[in-house]
Amino acid sequence: MAEALLVRSLHAGYDKLVVLGGVDLEVARGEWLALLGPNASGKTTLLHCIAAMLVPSAGSISICGHSLRQEAMAAKRALGFGCAPEYLPDLLTGRQCLEIYAAAKGLEAIGGDVLALAEEFAFTPMLERFVGSYSLGTKQKLSVLLALLGEPALVVLDEAFNGLDPASALVLKRHLRSRVSAGRCGVLLATHALDVVERYSDRAALLLDGRIAREWSREELAALRATPGEGLEMALAAACAGS
Amino acid sequence: MAAHPHLGARLIAWRNAYRYRRGRALLAVALVVVAIGVVAALPPTGPILGWLGRTRAVTFLIATILFTLSTARRRQRASIAAATSWLAALPTRSPMRLQVMASTAGWLAGLVGFSALAWAVGAIGRTDFSRLAVAMTAGAVVGLLAGWRLPKAGIGAPGFHRAVVRRPRAAWASAPSLSPLANWPAAQGRIFSRPKRTAPVLLLAMMAIPSGLHDAPGQVALAVAGLCMALYSVFSLSAAAVRVAFDAARWLAPTTVGKWRFAAALFWRVVVRQVLALAVLIFLTGVVDLHRTLAVGIPLAALYLCASLTLAVAVALNACRRTGLGAAGRGV
Repeated sequence: MAEALLVRSLHAGYDKLVVLGGVDLEVARGEWLALLGPNASGKTTLLHCIAAMLVPSAGSISICGHSLRQEAMAAKRALGFGCAPEYLPDLLTGRQCLEIYAAAKGLEAIGGDVLALAEEFAFTPMLERFVGSYSLGTKQKLSVLLALLGEPALVVLDEAFNGLDPASALVLKRHLRSRVSAGRCGVLLATHALDVVERYSDRAALLLDGRIAREWSREELAALRATPGEGLEMALAAACAGS
Repeated sequence: MAAHPHLGARLIAWRNAYRYRRGRALLAVALVVVAIGVVAALPPTGPILGWLGRTRAVTFLIATILFTLSTARRRQRASIAAATSWLAALPTRSPMRLQVMASTAGWLAGLVGFSALAWAVGAIGRTDFSRLAVAMTAGAVVGLLAGWRLPKAGIGAPGFHRAVVRRPRAAWASAPSLSPLANWPAAQGRIFSRPKRTAPVLLLAMMAIPSGLHDAPGQVALAVAGLCMALYSVFSLSAAAVRVAFDAARWLAPTTVGKWRFAAALFWRVVVRQVLALAVLIFLTGVVDLHRTLAVGIPLAALYLCASLTLAVAVALNACRRTGLGAAGRGV
């Protein structure tokens, strides 16, 4: 499978605070990787480095073979990043956000599948309302729609299921799964929702103290799924305790 | 601290801000002091302050309008802060009245201090200074009372209630454009200037002037009131452009948009609105004194427009640098 994301020896932080201390990670096109980790373990920092919103102090990131340093624009062209809901502009409407983001990505048109997903999310009636009037779940839907604009080869989502109603969450899981299964993109999802990891992810990685402390392969996840009881939850707790 | 947790929390926040950004805070204070000194020593400052000192009624009117609006705004802001604060659930009252009075007193002290500085450097005489101080103080007191009595909007009413939803472009999905981005600072400017609140205040002031409340010529006073409104609108738009730039850059940072294209898309509507407001301003000053408007007003307006645009673009480029928008070489 073609490589969607490659992170090597990534170090990053804020001023003197070191958050990431040598992260190695890869996501292939047609693969869904779930990024797990306790609060303040560095998941969002890692995603911000991948989205070029934070400059790492050392290491390298490449998206679809394009280095984020040398070919930033080519790398960003292949990236779909779902920003945190609080980063969305309160004083623009949902439709304006979609239009502006599509134009900023250099797209000639907004894809039909994104508009269809908006319809499935029951988001269409919200298009003319200000983002400031949206609930958390509605903002999450908009954030996901923006991330999926322009057929990105790498979709990066941070806690995308947080606040989504069950029906919309199911729509999103199936949509992402269908994109991944068709080999249209690779997905990197930072999440605490273990049911999503067990049922939909191909691999999972645990970020602990700024490093990838443990990885679960497709086979290991399948085995955990088949295990009666807590499965991944217990394995995760054991990995955290062991580290 | 236990009796006044809101005040205590505010003091700790200020102390922390100073402790962790000491250099930046001191630099900002030094820059503000230098800027005030430079403005006080500028050649036009003396004549303007002198005129304001001689026409006490106009000065009183301007001070009343500004302090009424600012008190109403502070009260609204304090109400929202009290209702949404992390200390809101505590069984203590927020010192809202004290907060509003302290801010008004601070601004009044600043304005009187500036006039005193102008007097100290010889830009104005002692008589003009004392007249100015009295008129401003009277305006502040009346404005404080009037602003406190103004009906306030619902506590916690979000800003977007005052923004206007624009009709979507027909080709929004088939040919997306960056142009709607300009609605963001424009909407923020509308929230800052709050025309629904400012219009009745100015209307009352303008109706009062020709009724013979004081000895200023009606034409001059009307022009001054209109001038205040136009200036308020222009400053609101400048503040909005600065306020929005970082948030917009952070939101669009993962996209491929370039920084110059971003800045142009963000500010074009603000510039157009400022040009319109300044045109109104020039027209109003032209009614009073056409010769001086042509000689001083138009170059001053053009200078302000350039300065405002330069500031907005500088802030936007700085936001791009900080968020990584349009950067071609981030990383290591």
